[in-house]
Amino acid sequence: MPGVSLQQINKQFGNDTAVSPTDLEFNDGELTALLGPSGCGKTTLIRMIAGLETPSGGRILLDGQNITDQPAHIRRFGMVFQSFALFPHLTVTDNVGYSLKINGVGKEQREQRAQELLDLVQMPQFGKRRIGELSGGQRQRVAIARALAQQPSIFLLDEPMSALDAKLREEMQVELRLLQQRLGITTIVVTHDQREAMTMADRIVVMKKGQVEQVGTPDEIYNNPASLFVASFIGKANFINGIIRRGTVIVGNNELATADKPGFIDGSSVTLFSRPERCRIVDNTGENTMRGEVTYVRNVGSLFEYHLTTDIGPLIIEKPNLQGNSPITKGQQILVQLPADSIKTFPALAA
Amino acid sequence: MKILKAGLQTLMMASAATMVALPIIVVCAAALNGGRSMLFPPQDPTLARFGEFFLTEPVWKNALMHSIFIAFASAAVAVLIAWPVAWWLWRYNSRWSKTMATITSMPFALPPIVFGVGLGFMWAFADLLGTIFAGIVSHALLLVALPVATISIGLQSIDKSHIDAAHTMGATEAVTLRTVILPLTLPYTVSGFFFTLILSFNEFIVMFFVSASAYSTVTLQIFNSLRNGFTPTMAVGAITFIAASILVFGLIARFGDLPGLMGADQARR
Amino acid sequence: MTTTVGVESSTTPPPGLAPPQRRLPLANTIFCVVVVSFCIIPFLLVIAISFGEKIEGAAWRWSFDHSNYLRFFVGADWPDTRTTLYIRRLWFSFYYAIIASVLAVATAFPFAYVMSRQSRRSQTLWLVFLLSAVSLSEVFVVMGWDILLSNRSGLPMVFKETGLTDWLKTSGWFEVLREWGLANPRNVRFKPTDFATIVTMSYLVWPYAVILLYPALARIDNSMLEAARTMGAPPLTVLRTVVLPSVRLPVIGTTLILFVFLLGSYVAITVFAHPSRQTLAVSVYDSVRGATMNAPFGAAQAIVLLITAVLVLLIVWMIGRRTEALQ
Repeated sequence: MPGVSLQQINKQFGNDTAVSPTDLEFNDGELTALLGPSGCGKTTLIRMIAGLETPSGGRILLDGQNITDQPAHIRRFGMVFQSFALFPHLTVTDNVGYSLKINGVGKEQREQRAQELLDLVQMPQFGKRRIGELSGGQRQRVAIARALAQQPSIFLLDEPMSALDAKLREEMQVELRLLQQRLGITTIVVTHDQREAMTMADRIVVMKKGQVEQVGTPDEIYNNPASLFVASFIGKANFINGIIRRGTVIVGNNELATADKPGFIDGSSVTLFSRPERCRIVDNTGENTMRGEVTYVRNVGSLFEYHLTTDIGPLIIEKPNLQGNSPITKGQQILVQLPADSIKTFPALAA
Repeated sequence: MKILKAGLQTLMMASAATMVALPIIVVCAAALNGGRSMLFPPQDPTLARFGEFFLTEPVWKNALMHSIFIAFASAAVAVLIAWPVAWWLWRYNSRWSKTMATITSMPFALPPIVFGVGLGFMWAFADLLGTIFAGIVSHALLLVALPVATISIGLQSIDKSHIDAAHTMGATEAVTLRTVILPLTLPYTVSGFFFTLILSFNEFIVMFFVSASAYSTVTLQIFNSLRNGFTPTMAVGAITFIAASILVFGLIARFGDLPGLMGADQARR
Repeated sequence: MTTTVGVESSTTPPPGLAPPQRRLPLANTIFCVVVVSFCIIPFLLVIAISFGEKIEGAAWRWSFDHSNYLRFFVGADWPDTRTTLYIRRLWFSFYYAIIASVLAVATAFPFAYVMSRQSRRSQTLWLVFLLSAVSLSEVFVVMGWDILLSNRSGLPMVFKETGLTDWLKTSGWFEVLREWGLANPRNVRFKPTDFATIVTMSYLVWPYAVILLYPALARIDNSMLEAARTMGAPPLTVLRTVVLPSVRLPVIGTTLILFVFLLGSYVAITVFAHPSRQTLAVSVYDSVRGATMNAPFGAAQAIVLLITAVLVLLIVWMIGRRTEALQ
């Protein structure tokens, strides 16, 4: 049984389309990430699910029931905001107990529940503090506890990590994912950070300009992007322009074999996509090998990134840092192979 | 060069402050005069005038009581009128809410003498001329623009996601108003209250037209005896009023955001 | 992150609430009607009564009579004789108010600029000081200046005691001061003079001028000034090319607001101005509650004052619109 389903949901602001008619299913107990660049409509979408924004058309179903016309305070989906939106005039305990208080739960029960939640987010000692006395990470934990206090049927997070610094962000991503799995709560996270989406999500919805580009597991999205946009937005990739001739792709003077055989007619322009870590450094020429000169070596710590100039244009390849220093240096000539099964072919963008 | 510039700036700020403070200091000193005339430096310094103002002379004692009562009451009425006006302006920002805000700011923006003359006529028709009630309502109407402004600044300073958060936790609009918006804007409401209080305390033009002779406030009492000249007892009144202003604005500065209220950085989030 | 198109003004209604409802409950309607009537009826009454007719004693009756305005502009006995007494008073209202407001803004500007560059803490302290000064009743301010400028104490005494008067006499400046009306045969004097009137009026609004200029100056980003400095502009050039252009309209607006405020000033005029050089505000008092007791004529004078104020405020409003459009 699906948790939430959207049917032809859309949103117009004046003449501008924030979200084009969209169908989406958010499965029970799953964590789904809405991923896309700024202005892609992901925040509008989560706000419509929360009931904070009225859709211009379409329906929202919760366990098969139409809730499109329910206002936010009836739906009561817990939500964590980008700024956390903790009330500065209340203590941590009162913030966490807010939803219970306004729904008439007694003080004792309220405080007990707040304490349980603070234990859950590993902040048992902080109940009496004021919001102004907390660090960014602590505020986020309180915001999560507060959103969960009402035992929501759906848990929504709008860019929950963007106010945290890089190191804390990665820790919180893992922690939030573990918490979500423990509670088994249907969760939707809005993010513009593909690493965050890959880390946490069961499924990722990639959006662009108000439209869904691809829905899939992190593996599917990463290895089998449905479009050039998804391919470029998720992770690093090499893009090579070429022309189809008799089943192979001609790039300059080179002929590249590809594993996927989409039905392109001869002479059509295509763009090839290949992940840097799938490119190989080889000793002998063979299928899809070419000569390249190293122009730049980037040490990322766990791996080395080599920028090459080749006959088919610039390439980036990645190799794990196994010995502690790079076996290849700037200026060196190497042979590089793009395995046929690592290449995906897309129709070239109409330039 | 840097030191010279800093010195010049300090000199300018200090001389400006001295200029502003000079007449006030002179008035304070004049309160010590032993005789009935305002001399500076004071002759036969004595504190007897303070006793007269606060204790022995019923004219001043009553006037002070009236000043205080009218100031508190009109500030309360002004805040009660201002809240819905500021709320509608922020919540709906519609044509009529803007019209309401403009109309309530008119008495303050236009010369108070015109509004005072009109109020005199209005209360005369209502047969309320000279009542304290008329005085309170008149001041509330004259000064309602101040709490409308401070409360509007307070409402605009609210992070909208606080309101969204309350809704997602089950709060209706009324509950959100009570549990989130009112507490968050409380410092601004209180500031508006005290701005009104202090200005009502010092106002006498409108009060002159609506008070008749039934009662009088301190500033009005001084205004009415203007033709006979100032006396040192009046100077005690001046000291009282200055002290009240510094106290109130000092408290607003301590517990509120005075630069923000004066419009220093609304753009800042 | 969502597109902000469709937002029409700076104060957007909070998103997430139900769409605005036009329908108003009865209580709200009553509230609005009462507040609006209380704010507007006084002005309407002044307009209506300005067309009224004075009858015996202090009374008057409704009428539709232009004679009050006729009397204001050309005198009661027109066309036999023509007096400009009230036009002259309007002129003096203008004269004092415009000089005092320009003087206040000109001297407040450097102060407000330096203040806006200081730390937030000292800004707050200055604001407490200024707000206390600006809220101080006109009667107290005039009281202070009265002591400072009166002939028996204050500055004339200081001039005499320090020998400044004698120096002025020997240097010949005393004759100049006498020509300007700032001295009697024995000593300098400030009461009654335009000088004392304007200084006191200017003082009345000076803290107000700082408070009104302050937001515009405080919002000038320091990094913008620093950018100009790094491009080689010396401090005065920064002031001239960056600061002044960005606050030109607020400065004009402030001057006009102070002008409207000073149109109604009364105590400073009665204490310091020569009786023949008094203003419309004074004669409104005299007509409505003072010696002459002619409410309709007082109302007519108040209306002339009101129209002047409204016209000036309209200019301020248009400046505000232009400022908004520029931003």
